[in-house]
Amino acid sequence: MSKLRKYWNIDIGQLSYLIGFLLVMGVLPIFLPDTLLYILGLTFIFIVFAVSWDFMTGLVGEVNLGHTIFIGVGGYVTALLNVPTRFKNTFLDILTNIPPPPIPITILLGGVIAAITGILIGLITLRLRGWYFALVTAILPLLFIKATYVLKDIFGGEEGFSVGLSKALAPDTIGKYIITLLFMAASILILYGIKNSKLGLTLIAIREDNTLAEALGINIYLYKVFAMGISSFFAGVSGALLVHYRVTISPDLFDVPLMLLIILAVVIGGLGTLIGPIIGGFLIYLLKYWVLKVYLIPYIPTTIPINDDIILYILLIIIAVLMPHGIYERLKRFYMAM
Amino acid sequence: MVSINTVMIILLYGATFSGILALISSGFTLIFGVSRILNFAHGAFFMMGAYIGIYFVQQLNLDPILSSLISIILVGIFSIAAYITIIYPVIKNEVMTIIVTLALALLIEQVILLTYGEFGLSYPRLVAGTLTIGDVVIPMVRLTILAISILTILGLWIFIDRTRIGKEINAASQDPEGAILIGLNVNKIYAITIFVSAVLAALSGILYSQMYAANPFQILNSLILAFSIVILGGLGSVKGSIISSFIVGFIYIAVTTLIGARWSEFIALAIIIVILIVKPTGLFGVEE
Repeated sequence: MSKLRKYWNIDIGQLSYLIGFLLVMGVLPIFLPDTLLYILGLTFIFIVFAVSWDFMTGLVGEVNLGHTIFIGVGGYVTALLNVPTRFKNTFLDILTNIPPPPIPITILLGGVIAAITGILIGLITLRLRGWYFALVTAILPLLFIKATYVLKDIFGGEEGFSVGLSKALAPDTIGKYIITLLFMAASILILYGIKNSKLGLTLIAIREDNTLAEALGINIYLYKVFAMGISSFFAGVSGALLVHYRVTISPDLFDVPLMLLIILAVVIGGLGTLIGPIIGGFLIYLLKYWVLKVYLIPYIPTTIPINDDIILYILLIIIAVLMPHGIYERLKRFYMAM
Repeated sequence: MVSINTVMIILLYGATFSGILALISSGFTLIFGVSRILNFAHGAFFMMGAYIGIYFVQQLNLDPILSSLISIILVGIFSIAAYITIIYPVIKNEVMTIIVTLALALLIEQVILLTYGEFGLSYPRLVAGTLTIGDVVIPMVRLTILAISILTILGLWIFIDRTRIGKEINAASQDPEGAILIGLNVNKIYAITIFVSAVLAALSGILYSQMYAANPFQILNSLILAFSIVILGGLGSVKGSIISSFIVGFIYIAVTTLIGARWSEFIALAIIIVILIVKPTGLFGVEE
């Protein structure tokens, strides 16, 4: 164990919390109704969105405003591979007759294509100062949405399309719940492992001081592009998983509100901690799709221009201004002071 | 064969559209150049200008020109308030600055969506009448828009180049620490700059909704063109963004008229990619 700690610099305390959290989630299906399990499954996928975003923005320090690009690309890749008839009578007619590979393969391919997209964006923008990366990633999701409207025959326009119930992740909610839980556990452990490996330390060094890292002989450009590939791969796989979870796909996967929800989750949890976003993602997703939806929004009179999104945006601004290091760091500092 | 009328239309529509783009993007690049704030709420200021003006005309029956003036000033004041309350506390943190301004933009988008709905709204005309040259009928409002944008750009140039406060802005953008050392209040300068930048955005929003419909989705969509312009012109260069506004504006209108509007936004993307690969500092950018 001590040898492992030496090379991997793993915080045993953090790791045990993490394993505890996963175990609790593992026994929950015994107690909870299906509807709540369904939301929890979605929450697990959302947590992977958040953690993989944090990997690029928190760890490497490049503001990626287009994480939804990779979620959407992963989603559309697996959806189109499973429903190749969507290409019929379009300029991509030749793709119609490709037999759909097994679902795990298409999900993985979603991740691979998303990673390639991420690497291309990184190759073009990460040579330059971070502003260019932020600007380009900010507008790309809008253009991807536009592309789904323009190529309506293939992408299904605003409504998207269904991949069919036979392509669901599992026939019942519990099956889906367990698959997403395992997926989340695997993704977190891999990303956490990378964060604490030599590669992760190099990335943190780059974030802390670009010039110094470069002076030490680190090729910061290639490292950043590589990190972008990892981050977008996980976004792509989780986006693809989401498609088979919900059995439908629509351009809302690309959309900016989802991006802001991811940012909110990470900022609340604490940028760059990877553990924080798990807590943040868990709280925020349940807050938006369960607490606010069921217990608050129905009671707000329609004359007041407030909805759940507005509440969350205000929350994001307040947290960013008052607690830029996130709740997790705050609690840790509080705990240390005790 | 492209007819002479089509050419006329591209020239005139391109010029007015470019003028509006110049107002949006010069404001965006001004605040960035001076304070290194990437203001993602700039598109929100742009649409707020239109919607507040429309509100005053429709609800209070004010004269469109008067409403426009009130709206422009209100948006300017709002921008200073936003600077003091949410941007200033995180200004040292690049990541958080981007996040809070983007959150503000989406917040405003949602408020507009809930109050006015997602359908486009047109602004009551500031001037009426048409002018006919040959076979082409030109609405007077387009010529007015062109004149207002050119005058405003000239005014901006005089403001930055000739007035004392403009020179202070210039000094702060070149070297914030040096500016503090010679006794300038950099914070005040940033607040004035964001005011000017928001005023330009609000004015362009009003002019935009004279020709096209104001629409809450423009808050984010306007950023597509604005970003391609500032990247083409060089991030932080006001002169560069004015010149590249006319390049992007004419290309955009030419593509929409000749090929169709479906792919027009992708032109912006193509410009961005080519510039970033070939000459990342843009036409007039400074090496960082």
